[in-house]
Amino acid sequence: MRSPLRTVKAMGVLVAVAIFLVPVLWVVLSAFKPGSELATYPPRILPVHWTLANFSDGFRFGNFARYFLNSGFVAVTSTVLSVVISTMAGFAFAKFRFPGRDVIFFAMLATLMISLQVILIPMFLTLKQLGLINSLWGIIIPPAATPTGIFLMRQYMMTIPDELLEAARIDGATNLQIFARIMIPLSVPVISTLTIFSFVWRWNDFLWPFLVINDDRLQTVQLALANFVGQYAVKWGSLLAMTTLSMLPMLVIFLIFQRYFLRGISTTGLKA
Amino acid sequence: MNRRTPLTPYLFIFPSAAIFLLFIVWPALQGFYQSLFRRGVIVRNDIPALAAEFVGLGNFRQLLHDERFLAVLGRTIVYTSVTVPLVVLVALGLALLLRDTFPGVGIVRAIVYWPSMVSLIIVGISWKWILGFESGVANYLMTQLGLAKVPWLLDPTIALATVVLVSVWATAGFFMVIFIAGLNAIPDVYYESATIDGCGSLQLFRHITAPLLKPTTVLVVILATINAFKVFEQVIVLTDGGPGRATVFMVQNIYEEAFRHPFGVGYASAQSVVFFFIMLLFAFVQFRMTRGGEA
Repeated sequence: MRSPLRTVKAMGVLVAVAIFLVPVLWVVLSAFKPGSELATYPPRILPVHWTLANFSDGFRFGNFARYFLNSGFVAVTSTVLSVVISTMAGFAFAKFRFPGRDVIFFAMLATLMISLQVILIPMFLTLKQLGLINSLWGIIIPPAATPTGIFLMRQYMMTIPDELLEAARIDGATNLQIFARIMIPLSVPVISTLTIFSFVWRWNDFLWPFLVINDDRLQTVQLALANFVGQYAVKWGSLLAMTTLSMLPMLVIFLIFQRYFLRGISTTGLKA
Repeated sequence: MNRRTPLTPYLFIFPSAAIFLLFIVWPALQGFYQSLFRRGVIVRNDIPALAAEFVGLGNFRQLLHDERFLAVLGRTIVYTSVTVPLVVLVALGLALLLRDTFPGVGIVRAIVYWPSMVSLIIVGISWKWILGFESGVANYLMTQLGLAKVPWLLDPTIALATVVLVSVWATAGFFMVIFIAGLNAIPDVYYESATIDGCGSLQLFRHITAPLLKPTTVLVVILATINAFKVFEQVIVLTDGGPGRATVFMVQNIYEEAFRHPFGVGYASAQSVVFFFIMLLFAFVQFRMTRGGEA
């Protein structure tokens, strides 16, 4: 490669890093500044007096301990539910032949087209009829079945040789035993993919809690943060502190499982 | 492969199927049904339900003359047609920049991807903090450069542009990953033989990268289009649709129609039906083009 192109590319990389990193750093650093420094003009990059007061304020006045608990509960429960039912459905679609199989499978995939945004109002009516408004189960159960999850599971399980299942069956294994002892252990890579992505989706979710939750005590972190901004006098210190804290679980997951994200879900799921 | 217990596969599918039927198919049908009524079901507890009046396609006829709705639809289309080309170009540029292996490329990719890891609420809050008119750091930098302060979120036109830029920032990393996968799928031998034949970098891009990346580009364009049409969360935090109604898009409008106007459920459902058919059109185009692109 010739050197002028190389210089241009190096400059480009630097600009990209600046554009994508600086805003994030600015938010995180601001979270550690005392109120007086947040209003200082001209602003300083680093806090002069580092403080955790914004964080403790968020917990004391903002009830955020509760919101983090709610978000954690919703993300974990919904992910477990999602992985269990997607694995079950994937098994059926990959390893059984039965009337209606392909029709049902494509019908499920087709629901990708009907996202929550499109059925917002009737969804509210449905949840209300079922008594799921203002209940955390209203944001746990409905999004648990995802076409993406079922598709990933099916594609992966189709690569598991039928001979293994036949052998187990000859030895007298039931379908449930085959599912639990053969399919699940052999599908660990794709199960972990779905677990990670599902947790991230549910943790970051806003539209479901926005639609379902009215009660202050049932808010998730994302909903609480959005409502926090909506107030007339935004308390930026604790808002930025809680924003920073809410990124922490995502940072941990990203650092551990980076390759899953940077390769994209389809390739990780199908080639893992 | 299994002939003895025909019921088993249905039992394994049942939990997923039940959720799909209850929480996608049923609401979708209910949405169509509600769109044919004036008033419809009242969604708020404090307002007593009134008998719904069947109006057939009346809601849809009304939509055709509803300047408020048409403005929102037009704005969403403008937003989408500006955001999509921009985010595709930025993502492609980043992919071309970061597909090479150089020391630290993994960290740079991670930094660019990071906004896609956090919620759009967090993205919105971060930029609202940066773009504050009086005390935001962006306007401080503007004044340091000898420029005037910019009303990032206070001027109708500029606020719309700001929403576009923030959305591009938030999603470019995700699409970059798809582009990098597409670029890496192009066999190196093509480049090697073309280089031997004397092709320069630009020619390599034009004659090898561009045509072979077409299926990936189609995929990214469609995904970005669907994504842009559903824009909502970052807007709620950044501007809440303001100033005035300058940044109200489809989803917010439907929500407000149903929840803030006590008799708006049928009318909001009609808007949802229109929205649904637009998304269906995108999905249809996607299906046709990805089939054509990969076959």
